[in-house]
This record gives sequence, C-alpha cells and structure tokens, in this order.
Amino acid sequence: MNQIKKILIANRGEIAIRIMRTCRELNIETVAVYSEADRTSLHVRYAHEAYCIGKPPSNESYLNIDKIIDVAKKCGADAIHPGYGFLSENAEFAKRCTLEGIKFIGPTPDVIIQMGDKIMAREAMIKAGIPVVPGTKGAIETEEEVLAVIADIGLPIMIKASAGGGGKGMRLVNDKNEVVSAVRAARSEALSSFGNDSVYIEKYITSPHHIEFQILADEHGNVVHLFERECSVQRRHQKMIEETPSPLMTIELRDEMGKCAVDAAKAVNYVGAGTIEFLVDNDLNYYFLEMNTRLQVEHPITERVTGIDLVRQQIRVAEGNKLEFKQKDLEQKGHAIECRIYAEDPDNNFMPSSGKVYKISEPLGLGVRTDGYVYEGYEIPIYYDPMISKLIVWGKTRDEAIRRMRRALYEYKITGVKTSIKILERIMNNENFISGNYDTHFIEKNREQLMSSEKVEENDDMIIIATFIDYLDKLGRTEENTKEFAPAQSCWNKISYRNHF
Amino acid sequence: MAVEIKVGDRVAWVNLLKQDKNILEIDVDGKIYKVDLMHTADGTFSILEGGHSYTIELVPRDEPKKYTAYTLYQSYDLEVIDAEARYLMNRGGNGFDSGENTISSPMPGKVVNVLVKEGDEVKEGDTVIIISAMKMESEYKAPKAGIVKKVNVKNEDTIQGNQVLIELDLIEE
Repeated sequence: MNQIKKILIANRGEIAIRIMRTCRELNIETVAVYSEADRTSLHVRYAHEAYCIGKPPSNESYLNIDKIIDVAKKCGADAIHPGYGFLSENAEFAKRCTLEGIKFIGPTPDVIIQMGDKIMAREAMIKAGIPVVPGTKGAIETEEEVLAVIADIGLPIMIKASAGGGGKGMRLVNDKNEVVSAVRAARSEALSSFGNDSVYIEKYITSPHHIEFQILADEHGNVVHLFERECSVQRRHQKMIEETPSPLMTIELRDEMGKCAVDAAKAVNYVGAGTIEFLVDNDLNYYFLEMNTRLQVEHPITERVTGIDLVRQQIRVAEGNKLEFKQKDLEQKGHAIECRIYAEDPDNNFMPSSGKVYKISEPLGLGVRTDGYVYEGYEIPIYYDPMISKLIVWGKTRDEAIRRMRRALYEYKITGVKTSIKILERIMNNENFISGNYDTHFIEKNREQLMSSEKVEENDDMIIIATFIDYLDKLGRTEENTKEFAPAQSCWNKISYRNHF
Repeated sequence: MAVEIKVGDRVAWVNLLKQDKNILEIDVDGKIYKVDLMHTADGTFSILEGGHSYTIELVPRDEPKKYTAYTLYQSYDLEVIDAEARYLMNRGGNGFDSGENTISSPMPGKVVNVLVKEGDEVKEGDTVIIISAMKMESEYKAPKAGIVKKVNVKNEDTIQGNQVLIELDLIEE
C-alpha cells in the first residue's frame, strides 16, 4: 500500500490526541469524529477536520460503523485508526473498512474474530503449545451450566465477556449464590460496552501477577516483542498503575515469555501492534490470558524504555513496510511507570466524579510525560470512560522512577472534579509497592494504608488567609474572572474574561 | 472586617489589620501574620510568609462561602462564617430531606433498569434500581424494608446527581 496521507481516528479522549500527535509528526492529516457530547472535546480541537457522528451514547456515535465509514469516505481518509475500546476490536468494522478501500490500522478481521473471541483464542493458543488458564470450552447459556463448571474446577471463578476488555463485563464469583446476579451484570455491561452479551468462565488464579508482552508484526512475517509490562496494580480488574520492567521478572523468564508471545502472534499470522496478556503465579508459572489486537492504554511505558513510537510503527506496518528493527536491536533502558488518572473519588468508594474541570496544573520536568485530554472549563461527559489522563515517568532505576512519580503526582493538580491522584500518591509511598512485592490483590491487601486519609502536618493558617482574602475579594467584585496574577486589591479592576466554553 | 473560617474541626477568627497592595497584615486567632499575597481572581494564591512560599488553589463549592483548598500535598474543605451565615445557621436546618426512605444516586447517570414498581414490598438490601454512570453499572439497594411509594424515573432516563429516584414507605419493625 502507498503512503497514508489522511487518517480518521475513530475514537475520543486522550488516545485520539495521542494518535494525532504522531500523525502531526508524520505530516499525516487527521480527522476527528465526535458525538454531540464531545463538541468541545480536545480531540475535536486538535484535529485538522472534525465531524459529528451522532448522539452521546456510544452505540449511537462511536460505535456507529455506517456513520464513521460514511465520514471517512466523504473526507477522503485513506486509513482509520480505532484507538482502544469502541470499535478497535470489532471485526465487522475492520471488514467494512477493507471493503470500502480504507486501510484499517490493526490486524485482519479474521485475527480480530479469532482473538476477540476469547474462547477461540484459547483454542488457538493450546494448539500453538502455549499454556492457558483452565476454564470452559465455550460460551455459557444457563445458570445450571455455570454450576456444573463450578463443580468441575471449583470456586472462585471469573465470569468474562467473550468480547471483553478493560475490565468491563467481568465478574468474580466466590459463592454459588452470586452466580445469577454476576452473570446478569456481566452480560448487561458486556452488551452496552461491546454489543455482545456472550460470557464464559475461567478458573480464578489466586494471587496472580498480570504481566503482558507488547508485540509488533509486519505483513512479511517478521515479529518482535518489546518486553513486558507489569499491570498487577488493579482495582475491580481496572488497571491503575503499570510499570516496565516488572519487579517479578527474571532475565530467563523474560526470554521465555517473550518467545512465547512471538510464537502466539505467529500462530495467528498477526499483523500490527498487539499485546499478549499472561497471568503469572508466585512460582513463575505463566498462563496465556488473552490477546489484545490493538494499542493498549499503557503502551507509553514501553515507548519510554524502548524509544519506539508504537503508533508510528502501526502506521508504517499498515503501509506495508517491513519492521525497521530486529529482536536483537531492542533493549529496555531504565524504568518507566504509568499512573492512570481517573475522575473518581478514592475516599468515597471510587464513585465516578463527572463535572467541570476548574483548574489543571500538569507536572513537567525531566522524565515526565502526560497523555490527557481535559482542560480548564471542560465538562467531563457522563457517557464515557472516567479516565482523564495518564502520567508516565521514566527513571534510570526503579527507585528513581518511583521518586519522580511521587514528585510528579504532587505537581499534578486537577480541581473541580475528584481524581484518583491521592490514592496514587499513597501507592507510591506504600512499602510493598516500593519493594516490588505485589500481585493483583495489592489494593485489597493494603487497603488500610491506601484508604487512610492521614494528613501531613501543615500550617492551616495560610489556607485560612487565602480563603479570607478570596471572600473579601468576592464581596467587592462585580466583574468576571481574570486569569492574570494581580495584587490582592485587584477586586476593583474591571476585566472581563471567560475561562470555559 | 473580621469573620470566622471553619477548616475541619477548627474555627479560626480572622481579621485584616493593614493592607498595602500585596503586603497584608492579618490576624488569625490572635497570631499576627505579615504576608506577601498575590492571587488570581479564579483562586490561585501565592503567599510568601517568613521566607516560605505557599501555593494554594481555592475552588468554590456549590454553596456560597464554601471552598475546597488544595496545597501541594492535600486538600481541605473550608467555610466562611460571616454575619449572614451565622443568621441562617441560627434559624436551624436547611429543610433538606435525606432520610432512609428515599433512594438517590450521588452522581448523574442513566437508568439501566428499575426493578420495582409502586406498591411492591421490598426487604432491606433488595436491589431496586440499576444506574449506569461513566460505563460502570451500580446496583442501588433499599436502605430499609418498606413499600414502594413512588418511582420517579423509568428505564433509559438520564438522571441528575442527588435526584430522588425511588421513595419508600418504611415498614416499622
């Protein structure tokens, strides 16, 4: 295929912007699509072109294949990048793109079907000689079937959406009485998130590590892995923190799992960027969990330690080019950590917190990257994922990276909505995290320290003074806000100004 | 002009003694501070006091005279108690009813499924309504046993934060 000149990004939020950034660097024109709730979203403002594709609920906009294809054809986009979530692992969409002569930046529809259907994926991996987690052969239909499986492999089990990902449509069952409500919840979430309510069962490995390998493959049969990402810090199966290298990893295990990941990709003739997720137990046994046939949320930590722009590689591969490097050319330099910033309240059972962003100060300085999309005055819509930004730091060593993350989190101020920043700070100060001694139960096991809102000794008087001056200032003020620094007396100046749409 | 400011359990008495542009003399609970204070009208403060530099972000909350303040390390909820506030406080409660006989969602979202209808009897802990907000579904349960008095929403409705969704007549034990 010829060089790509214009890409439509069938997504929103931080990932749409992240993709467009690489496009800008490659002189590729960008096309945003947006729902009515996203008119003032940053990806609309960042793109060269932007088109509305429907009502706020995802299934009437970001999941509307016809509408997106229609826009792509009208604006002359030669490729579509699906990002993650939404249509990124939808084979029907990939097929339609190909049919309409638009390059889908991702693997072929066949591979998406095979890997997207977790049940078929398990079969393919067993065939390729890769260890998998014990569980059901196919989708389950009735409660009786679930109970039969429980009798066979025992509790606890995981109910998972066959089309799942990102922790949606997934429920842990510890007790037979929970089966009905868990299946119902998993099905309902799966239907609204993926448009498919089929679910299956896997044995729940207690105390596992979630470690995944990034792979890249071209159309010419070349496959490399870009090492692991440790993603065990999770809450309700939603990742919160990822790091690379994994504190659990040994050189031998990395080699072995890396080869396994490459074999897995080769077994299905994979093309593009993909991720092989493994569960690893404390004895370093590993099991194939699933393959994600798209860019991952946490891809920046891999970019940071390898120096490779994964979106650029995706585009190059989509253009039909050979990979620019071989396995031996790749190395992990230093240590990278990503913290996901969610609009939610960690002190109130992580309740999602929508609303208007009042102010943001982003962390800067050596080794710090933020991938976000919200800005001052932006109203976070209730219809989509509550992740508002990712903070990625790099350090020469793990210790340096943790210290830098702590510093960056202190600098990061988002006001107006509640965010997960506070609990992330507590994790960076948690002994077990610092010593690298954690698995997927980290949050529950360390609940006490992570949930305690103990205060650092600080002088209250300064905040009292600030509040007092603001109060006096408002008493005497009739004009709109101003953003400039000014002496306390500025309340008598008249400057009109608006800081939001 | 002096007011009281409540921060956590502490109520501090504050008075502005002198001001020369950004150089202020302020009395906080009898302690006199001489500070250099610069701020933006939307609440970013830079205070220099005795050589220390403090950056504070003040965010107004929904009600007037209530703020959340952010320092580098933590956040505080504050409230200014002036003559007007004291008058309102003395008049007693604000009449807001948030008893055990209503079910509401603390955040805006969409109704996925109403599982009860008016006249239904519910036990404590029964799931009565499922709400979806930011792609997560949550089940809301009856806080006490009762009879469903009123259902104010239907499936697919978009709801506001703190909106009363279902009202119950409690059954006395």
